[in-house]
Amino acid sequence: MKKIIRIVSFVVSLLLVLTCFAGCGKKSYTADNKEFIIGLSGPLTGAAAIYGIGVKNGATLAVDEINANGGLNGIKFKLEATDDMHDSTKVATNYSSLLEKGMQVSLGCVTSAPCAEWTNLSYDDNLFFITPSASNDDVPKYENGYQMCFADGNQGKAAAEYVSKNFAGETIGVFYKSDDNYSNGIFEQFKANISKDVKLVETVFTSANETSFDSQIQQLKNCKFIFMPIYYTPASLFMTQAKGIIADDAVYYGCDGFDGIDSIEGFDIKSVPQQVSMLSHFDSKATEGVAAEFIKKYTDKFGADTLNQFAASAYDCVYAIYQAMKKANVDDVTISASDLCDILTETFQGGFKFKNAVTGAGDDVSWDKNGYVNKTAIKFIIKDANK
Amino acid sequence: MEIITTLINGLSIGGIYAMIALGYTMVYGIAKMLNFAHGDIIMVGGYTIYVFMNITGHPLIAVAVAVVFCVLIGVTIEKVAYKPLRGASPLAVLITAIGVSYLLQSLAQIIFGSAPKMVQFPDIKPIQIGSLKIQVYTLITLVASIIVMVLLTLFVKYTNIGRAMLATSEDRSATELMGINVNSVITITFAIGSALAALAGLFYLLKAPNISNTFGSMPGIKAFTAAVIGGIGSIPGAMLGGILLGMVEAISYNIPAIAPYTDAIEFLILIVILLVKPAGILGKRRREKV
Amino acid sequence: MKIFHFGRKSLSHYYSTFAIIIAAIVFFVLSISIGLEKSTIFLLEKVIIAVILAVSLNLVVGFLGELSLGHAGFMCLGAYLGGKFATIVEPTLGKDSPLNLVLSILIGGAVAAIFGLVIGLPALRLKGDYLAIVTLGFGEIVKSVFQNTTRESFGGALGLETPRFNKDYLFIYCFGALIISLWVSINLINSKHGRAITSIRDNEIAARATGINVTKYKLLAFTVSSFFAGVAGVLYSFSNYNVQSSKFGYNYSIEILVMVVLGGIGSINGSIIAAALITFINTELAQILTGNLAVLQNLFYAIILIVIVIYGNSPALAGIREKYDPSKLFDKKRKDPSTIKKDDAKWNKIPTKIAMDELLSVDVSNSDDNENDTNNTKGGN
Repeated sequence: MKKIIRIVSFVVSLLLVLTCFAGCGKKSYTADNKEFIIGLSGPLTGAAAIYGIGVKNGATLAVDEINANGGLNGIKFKLEATDDMHDSTKVATNYSSLLEKGMQVSLGCVTSAPCAEWTNLSYDDNLFFITPSASNDDVPKYENGYQMCFADGNQGKAAAEYVSKNFAGETIGVFYKSDDNYSNGIFEQFKANISKDVKLVETVFTSANETSFDSQIQQLKNCKFIFMPIYYTPASLFMTQAKGIIADDAVYYGCDGFDGIDSIEGFDIKSVPQQVSMLSHFDSKATEGVAAEFIKKYTDKFGADTLNQFAASAYDCVYAIYQAMKKANVDDVTISASDLCDILTETFQGGFKFKNAVTGAGDDVSWDKNGYVNKTAIKFIIKDANK
Repeated sequence: MEIITTLINGLSIGGIYAMIALGYTMVYGIAKMLNFAHGDIIMVGGYTIYVFMNITGHPLIAVAVAVVFCVLIGVTIEKVAYKPLRGASPLAVLITAIGVSYLLQSLAQIIFGSAPKMVQFPDIKPIQIGSLKIQVYTLITLVASIIVMVLLTLFVKYTNIGRAMLATSEDRSATELMGINVNSVITITFAIGSALAALAGLFYLLKAPNISNTFGSMPGIKAFTAAVIGGIGSIPGAMLGGILLGMVEAISYNIPAIAPYTDAIEFLILIVILLVKPAGILGKRRREKV
Repeated sequence: MKIFHFGRKSLSHYYSTFAIIIAAIVFFVLSISIGLEKSTIFLLEKVIIAVILAVSLNLVVGFLGELSLGHAGFMCLGAYLGGKFATIVEPTLGKDSPLNLVLSILIGGAVAAIFGLVIGLPALRLKGDYLAIVTLGFGEIVKSVFQNTTRESFGGALGLETPRFNKDYLFIYCFGALIISLWVSINLINSKHGRAITSIRDNEIAARATGINVTKYKLLAFTVSSFFAGVAGVLYSFSNYNVQSSKFGYNYSIEILVMVVLGGIGSINGSIIAAALITFINTELAQILTGNLAVLQNLFYAIILIVIVIYGNSPALAGIREKYDPSKLFDKKRKDPSTIKKDDAKWNKIPTKIAMDELLSVDVSNSDDNENDTNNTKGGN
């Protein structure tokens, strides 16, 4: 008898545990919405937090502005941001909790590897997303995904064009992270598109050693131009360690991963003798135009520390969604994510021009059929060489 | 020229690995346990240096404090977490060590946050010999690690405590019968290991002044690999293994075709050496008994 | 027909297995009648994968008494190769083909098992912590190799895309795989092979002396464990549509080990409950403890791990353990007399032990290499 009671009690207790997370019944998550809900998953803490916080702030700024101006047909917007700590395994949980909160449209994820998960998950539900910063080429591979930033491959191509034009017949250095999709994605296209006249010195590092670059610096010491498609933390370490070994008149050229390098605590970019520049779509030192207006609004509200191109990009994303929804005249606050996605993709593919973009060089922004963005890239000098 | 710089880089990184590996190997030899939390002592040392560099601005003071603090932490861990398990199964000790490693990492994250911190050391111009340009810090690391290794060897060979340590690693029970307090020998071993870890933390920071809560994990695992390659339990073995691993790393980073696979190569060397010589290069094969 | 071979153990020893079978039926009925929420299905898959991993690791850690720190590496192999196979044959077999699913699960498992054999063959011949070290290295190699593959072969750093099986049914296959893995594990443990394996854990030399082929049985346990790690990997790759090798590092192996330890080394029920609970709690906590608070979770696990291991293993605490043994609180009668007095730890304290050791020892120069191995945790009761 005792045995049976024991079996039954354990079975029941385990079942209780299992069923307490079995929220059953498929229903429309958006039926109770009082405002349009925009979802976002990004690294609000952790090593990549500078991007996540920038994006969240940029998007919040845009949402507040739109709401202050009466919203869309009187309906307000609401941003729901979740923290994924740049960890892909957290995305699925974030995604489903956002969906169950009534998310109708989204900014996807802030960083690329998590966004690969988001791409897959959102495809199942046909949820529209336009990511401000996840730049991997595969992020917009389904019809529901769009990018506001340049795709990695396109950054690689743009950099290769710039280098081929300016450094024909010379030797330039490349320093990239071989097991990182961002770095690798840019490098592959860079290498494929670079002209034969330019000789490359390739150096790599991996996630197992992201801190000590003596060997690589020794190999690159004779290069006058070093292309570094990497994130700012290893870049700052590289620059610190290369002081005095790499010539002072050399140029460090990065992509959007360099953004934020001038605001690392404890790293004084002025102490780097070389020029530090990057391929960007946002001039964070702009003094006129919409970009300058954005910078003023942003710094008034959040301070200058987290201002980067991704904050601007997120601001643009929200406005792009707003303008597209306005064009399509969406007025049903309980519209399902899937219906809204159909409307938005149709709009985006139907010659939609996003106006007053903060990013780019002030032109209208449009998207090609793959979801890649068309806008003007700029070479942004973060810090000029010390004279 | 290339070869010389590669050699110097390999030796200096190898010196750091050797210093960490010594901590692993001494603890294994004497306490018969794999101290998985050893890598995190490096992290503790690194953060202490970071804090005291910010307060005092003087690297030497910061290092001195870091060494003392790491010794205290190392000995405390030994007393609280490992000592109660003396005589328990090795698996239990190993799992506790893993728990301690997690504990230190999460405490560091609670105190310092998850964003990496930069430590600012004074800028020194690189030394130039002919066309060779070498960072001063690389040379300091190289010289200091050699000094530490020599001192440690002398200490173990010629002092009473050192000989007690050797004796304990040979035969704990017999050592106890000789009237040596094995418990205090183990404590001293942890203290020395932790002090070496604090120094390794400094040299790592000199190379790359960037610290986060996982700062010590990868160097820890690498150094542990080095200790096993050299023969775990053997002090010269740890030095040899560390330097070997450092050289392999520096050379491999210089060959573009295999550079991405550097870590895989290092671990492959470990597996191959264990297959050929299971006790490591300088390790002694111990016989089993009932 | 006797499907489950329980040996001398009564059915109640495997209550968790029955709970899982019942849960599988309940969720199946729920999913076809009223449908399940996406997050529930996803959580179910996560729980099942964790349980398979924990149970299979327990075969090595609990029943063989060896430590493996590369379980995630075997999982990674299974995830990539099973996922790749499914991608290749998907055009031929069609979308949502059950045959494709089953085949790729088998292939993922088989590849992991082959590597388990290759790694285990040299490492398991040696006594001591070698398996731990070799598997640790192996896990890092696998991770690093897959991370540096090209985009076309295995997806490189962004990970491998896997076919998108219908989520409404995938979890049923996961349940199937879980039940089969439990069936194999329990049958293995309770067979004569299982008794051979546990005898190796308890005393290798004595086991060898009774004519047990030690290497063969060690390999058997390790290969079966790797196989199911591979199976869990394939399921993971289908559950996420995508495999990124950076996940399968040393830390993930440790996470699985934590589940095994918290559930009780050598207890299948414990592994099942611990894996399910920890995965569930982690998922729930992830929504509450966001941002910098997330670290509290790690802190909590670290402290629990240390306290449980010290409490459960410290020779000094043996008296307290006996006094407050939870199994005695429930029913005193069923206690197996052979396990009531666990005095092997005290034996270490008796001075004559040293003399005994020396008499028995082949090599007099080292006497305490092995004495700690004997009081390993007791088996699957």
